[in-house]
Amino acid sequence: MKEAYDTEDDRPALVADRRTGRTFRQASIIVLAGAALGLAANAVSPRRVPILTPLKAPPHARDVVSLDEAKTLWNSGTVFFLDARATADYEAGHIAGALSLPIDEFDDHYPQIQAMLTTDSTIVAYCDGLDCDLSHRLMDRLRELGYQHVRLLVNGWTTWHTAGLLTHSGADP
Amino acid sequence: MRIINLIFRWIIGGVFIASAVAKIGNVQLSHGKSAPGTATASVHAWSWSMPLGESRAIRLSYVPDLTQFAQDVGNYHVPPRALANTVAITLPWIELLAGGLLIAGVWKRASAWVITAMMVVFLVAIAWALAHGYDIRCGCFGTVEARKVGVLALGEDFVLLAMAAWLAWRLENSTNRTTETTNETKNRRD
Repeated sequence: MKEAYDTEDDRPALVADRRTGRTFRQASIIVLAGAALGLAANAVSPRRVPILTPLKAPPHARDVVSLDEAKTLWNSGTVFFLDARATADYEAGHIAGALSLPIDEFDDHYPQIQAMLTTDSTIVAYCDGLDCDLSHRLMDRLRELGYQHVRLLVNGWTTWHTAGLLTHSGADP
Repeated sequence: MRIINLIFRWIIGGVFIASAVAKIGNVQLSHGKSAPGTATASVHAWSWSMPLGESRAIRLSYVPDLTQFAQDVGNYHVPPRALANTVAITLPWIELLAGGLLIAGVWKRASAWVITAMMVVFLVAIAWALAHGYDIRCGCFGTVEARKVGVLALGEDFVLLAMAAWLAWRLENSTNRTTETTNETKNRRD
């Protein structure tokens, strides 16, 4: 409105263009100022997060079992499948025979599992989702404890149950 | 129309401010056993609990920590994945600024457009997650609500998008009319 008086050129189209330009400028300022505030707040926060998401390296081939391998191992009946997800997820459905060992409550659950394992046991750890790192963490933790034959079934739960393989739900394996 | 504009501005602005604060402060609302000390506060964190009879309490905490929200954003798996944290860091503050300006009535049109654009982005992200069948937390209001992404979130976003777009368009048009009138007046004067 003010600009219409200020300007020499009062052709409505031009004024409308200018107004659109101004709206766009203001919108850009809102976005940039918001982003700057966010970056500043993150920079001073004691709980800051990295500006770029650290991308996980894909698991090494030797750490991974394929679905076919997992099936063979499962059929052999001598392999321990460990579910690294939270208890509630385990109870909602898990690979039949798998034991629950939520990595986030490792110390609470490990003693019961430990009794069944030896450091020579073959172990397949799994969780759910291509990016799920619970099973990676479980594998690392178990290796630290001396278990030598721990591997991962990537995206384990989804891969297993979409392949129509045997599953179980509830607190029992 | 003016009253509708005002109501829409308040609703959208309020929703955006609330969701921004929830994200920035990683606001948590929980029921549980009452802890000793009803309120704690420090420069960065703040928590408050209201006792509910015997040893029960509602606890509200505000602890600026984006770790959870950044995880929620990352779970959408919208490329480029490396920018999930950048989005988590900047988005809530853009929401806060745009929502605040919209309510304050400063740069209303620009704020309404920014909010409209954000709603479109949210819709695309939710649709992306649904299309890929991700069973993830919405993160729409930070981590204070455990709601999963779903048709409800999609519907909610549509309603907010419609309101924001309507507002952006109305404010654009109403100003156009005013300017046209001004121009006519000026032409007559000439």
